[in-house]
Amino acid sequence: MSEVVLSVSGLQKSIGGKQLIHDISFEVMAGEVYGFLGPNGAGKTTTIRMLVGLTRPNSGEITIGGHSLQKQFIEAIRHVGSIVENPELYSFLTGRENLEMFARMSGTVTKERIEEVIKQVELTEAIDQKVKTYSLGMRQRLGIGQALLHSPKLLILDEPTNGLDPAGIRELREFIQYLAHEQKIGVFISSHLLSEIELMCDRVAIINKGRVISVGAVHDMMEQFADHAHWFFTEQSIGKAVEVMNNCEYVYELQALSDGRVKCRMDTERIGELNRLLVHADVDVLRIESKTVTLEDLFLSLTAGTPGEEGENHV
Amino acid sequence: MYDLVYNESLKLIKRKRFYVVLLILIVLIPLFTYAQFRSAEVARSQIGTDDWRTMLQQKIVDTQNRLASSRIPPEWRDYLETQLSLQQYYLDHNIDPSSPGAVTFARGFMDQAISLFLPMMIVILAVDLVSSEFSEGTIKLLLTRPVKRWKILTSKFITLFLFTSLTIVVSLLFSYVISGIVFGYSGWTMPVLTGFTFSADTLDTSSVFVLEQWKYILMQYGLGWFVCMVIGAISMMISVLVRSTAAGMGIMMAALVSGVILTQMAANWEQAKYLFNVNLQLTSYLAGTLPPIKGMSLPFSLSVLSIWGIISMIVAYVVFIRQDVR
Ligand SMILES: Nc1ncnc2c1ncn2[C@@H]1O[C@H](COP(=O)(O)OP(=O)(O)OP(=O)(O)O)[C@@H](O)[C@H]1O
Ligand SMILES: [Mg+2]
Repeated sequence: MSEVVLSVSGLQKSIGGKQLIHDISFEVMAGEVYGFLGPNGAGKTTTIRMLVGLTRPNSGEITIGGHSLQKQFIEAIRHVGSIVENPELYSFLTGRENLEMFARMSGTVTKERIEEVIKQVELTEAIDQKVKTYSLGMRQRLGIGQALLHSPKLLILDEPTNGLDPAGIRELREFIQYLAHEQKIGVFISSHLLSEIELMCDRVAIINKGRVISVGAVHDMMEQFADHAHWFFTEQSIGKAVEVMNNCEYVYELQALSDGRVKCRMDTERIGELNRLLVHADVDVLRIESKTVTLEDLFLSLTAGTPGEEGENHV
Repeated sequence: MYDLVYNESLKLIKRKRFYVVLLILIVLIPLFTYAQFRSAEVARSQIGTDDWRTMLQQKIVDTQNRLASSRIPPEWRDYLETQLSLQQYYLDHNIDPSSPGAVTFARGFMDQAISLFLPMMIVILAVDLVSSEFSEGTIKLLLTRPVKRWKILTSKFITLFLFTSLTIVVSLLFSYVISGIVFGYSGWTMPVLTGFTFSADTLDTSSVFVLEQWKYILMQYGLGWFVCMVIGAISMMISVLVRSTAAGMGIMMAALVSGVILTQMAANWEQAKYLFNVNLQLTSYLAGTLPPIKGMSLPFSLSVLSIWGIISMIVAYVVFIRQDVR
């Protein structure tokens, strides 16, 4: 369908004799937001440093816009805009001076483009102030401006929601989706803020201890874990409850636990209906929880091997 | 490359490094001027105002007497003859050789500043050119542009060399203009002795000649410029190798100061002459002061400094291009 803007295969990196990245491979398409998800120390930043040419991989191939990063650095990096870790800009220069400086380095950026980017990241008012007077959110925005200046095909952002307030995160999310879906830029975003990635990304690679442990569409991954319900009964009524629930065609994967809890999967919209059935059958229902499974649960189950207990909504 | 150098110059100026250097020069040169003025005053009051003619005449008689003696070696005789003609020249043209004019002050300033003061100014300019990019994290922005790493370092070197040259020009200008307020602006054509060479550990005066002071100053500031360029290259290497500005500054200051100490203590440690920091006092070769260590000469010192400069640049480039940035 669309073109591959970033392709990584067999990436490995060890620093000081310690293997930090084991054989990472993935592809990012133009027009998609690709999430790179992992806990602290998983190797996200280490990987991103290799993607932007700051460090050299021990082995593996990085191709950006059809150019090998290792062999044709200039042609490849021309298509990349990035923020690695924090947006560190020259604090003793104004926002505009910073942008002009990077424009001169890219060589292809016009005055009009600089103005356009300033508008896009909504820094029109503060752009002529020194960056040291900026708030963290403004710095993030200037960082994104600097990354977008030369109209890259691939945007690489390392934890861009760091330090943003909820409104800022929301704005950033919409902006990133606009860039990907309207401007057809491939966006690669690392984060441990799982809920945000879930809302922002089209596809996601989950990484832990330097290995990609799962890749897929965010939607598909969510499917696997959706529609969980936990029921709590008194001990006398548990047998009866299981019987009733087994007779419902919309309840599946039923599991009765020793502590009076029954786990099942079902359309959470129908919890009330089932509850009525149980009450009619003289079952004492103590409590019902519908589990909105977040990527966090998915993530924890993949990294730790046990399904998570987070995201409980009490009904 | 023009754009890159422009960027680097902008950063250097906005970081206010060059202002610091200008400020130091503007504060210290009047101070030196005043010190010189005081010592001239004292000397004058000891001798009596107009006495420098009698003094000079006395010196001429002295020199003539020594020339008359048959035991002096022939080179020494040449030197004395040159000296004699110079003293005669001073007398004939009514020049007080010990009275400081602005040009003489500028000459004295370079003699004093070349081994420590000016190199320190260059260290201020150079030592955080690379390390600050690392400590502030901006190196990540610099190296993820479509520009080869060697070009980025080259633009930094060019910028440094531009500002080094500017520092030399400005220090000549300041020392001339500021001291001229007190001493007057004359002295460009005053004759000065130079052309000393050193055979073994003795001063060889056989090729000494008289030079107009402006030519002498030109040579002096040229040598000062060369020293500063080499110090710039070495500071840049330190800046690439050491990530902290404070550490880099410390290393360079220690090197410069220990050079001053070594020139006074290392007369018997001959290998020390290959260190860059004992080879900075290039102007004393012009003035005919014996070098601190046996076997040193102007060409020798120039070669040692060149080699240090070139090796520093090579190390800086290799490390900068190959290193992992994290
Ligand atoms: N220069 C280094 N030398 C040795 N180990 C390093 C170095 N840099 C990173 N590491 C190790 O590599 C691992 C991955 O680090 P990395 O910064 O890539 O994690 P991350 O996924 O970005 O985490 P975070 O979410 O905290 O940013 C960590 O265990 C870290 O200790
Ligand atoms: Mg990180």
